[in-house]
Amino acid sequence: MSAPARSQLEGLGLSASCVDVLRHLWDYLDDEMTPRGAERLRAHIANCGQCRGLEGYQSSFLDTLAQLRSEFDAPTELRQRLADKLKGQGCGCWAKVRGES
Amino acid sequence: MTTATHATLTLPGPTSGAAGVALDVSASTGTNRDAEFEREALPWLDDVYRFALTLTRDESDADDVVQETYLRAYRSWHTFIPGTECRRWLFTICRNVFLRSRERQRPTVDLEDGEQDALAAGSVYAAARERGYDDLYATLDLAPALRDALDELAEPFRSAVILVDVEDMTYESAAQVMGVPIGTVRSRLFRGRRLLQEKLVTVAEDLGFATASVGVRR
Repeated sequence: MSAPARSQLEGLGLSASCVDVLRHLWDYLDDEMTPRGAERLRAHIANCGQCRGLEGYQSSFLDTLAQLRSEFDAPTELRQRLADKLKGQGCGCWAKVRGES
Repeated sequence: MTTATHATLTLPGPTSGAAGVALDVSASTGTNRDAEFEREALPWLDDVYRFALTLTRDESDADDVVQETYLRAYRSWHTFIPGTECRRWLFTICRNVFLRSRERQRPTVDLEDGEQDALAAGSVYAAARERGYDDLYATLDLAPALRDALDELAEPFRSAVILVDVEDMTYESAAQVMGVPIGTVRSRLFRGRRLLQEKLVTVAEDLGFATASVGVRR
């Protein structure tokens, strides 16, 4: 997909403030903005239906991505193999890899 | 309690009788080192396994990567700086092990700072809204499709998305794991997200998640 088509962005009814939100929305949702910058975006989103819709859409997307962090435990067999190898390296905590005290 | 000691430990060589390896253990010695490794590194085994699995997309390969990661971590434990994020350190080793196993060179994709893809996210949303997909994620369970799309996403975008969006790392931490500037992480991350979103809209269409023809969806 090429750079955003101006007509599509204009179709969203974006103001200059809206474009600013768009430019920084990912940083905002990732908590990577300064407090002042985040507050500026938050204030605009609270008063702009267009940007509120965009923020909701992107936020839902990130929530779905975060669901992929399902609980994957390292298999028992892997723990045993790793314990054996660490023991071979002289590691004194090899038993702890298998969950033993 | 850690004892800072300068010492050289000579490990026996392989059975062929070759000379042993002198290992610098100046950061800590013996049981202290093992206690530190146990306390700092072992708790992240499940996380490292999950990360390796998302990178390799194969349980057997992930096993190999995890084992090599921890062996390298143990051998180079003296290079770990106490007080820093061990999880990030382990992820860095893991990713390097993975890349070496694929005999890939370090990615040289050099994108802009992500501004284009940040703006392009607006177009993705606009297109989704035109087709009535603006509540796509709230209406459909797209996690399985998203998992498939993530598996198919090309490097280096996939690593960026995994580290930040799945493993919940900051841009800075992800940058350290990937060995690139923060700006590069942003650009890869935003591009990866855009590619995933475009893929999911296609999936929704294939699922018949049409709108105009079927009226209001709720």
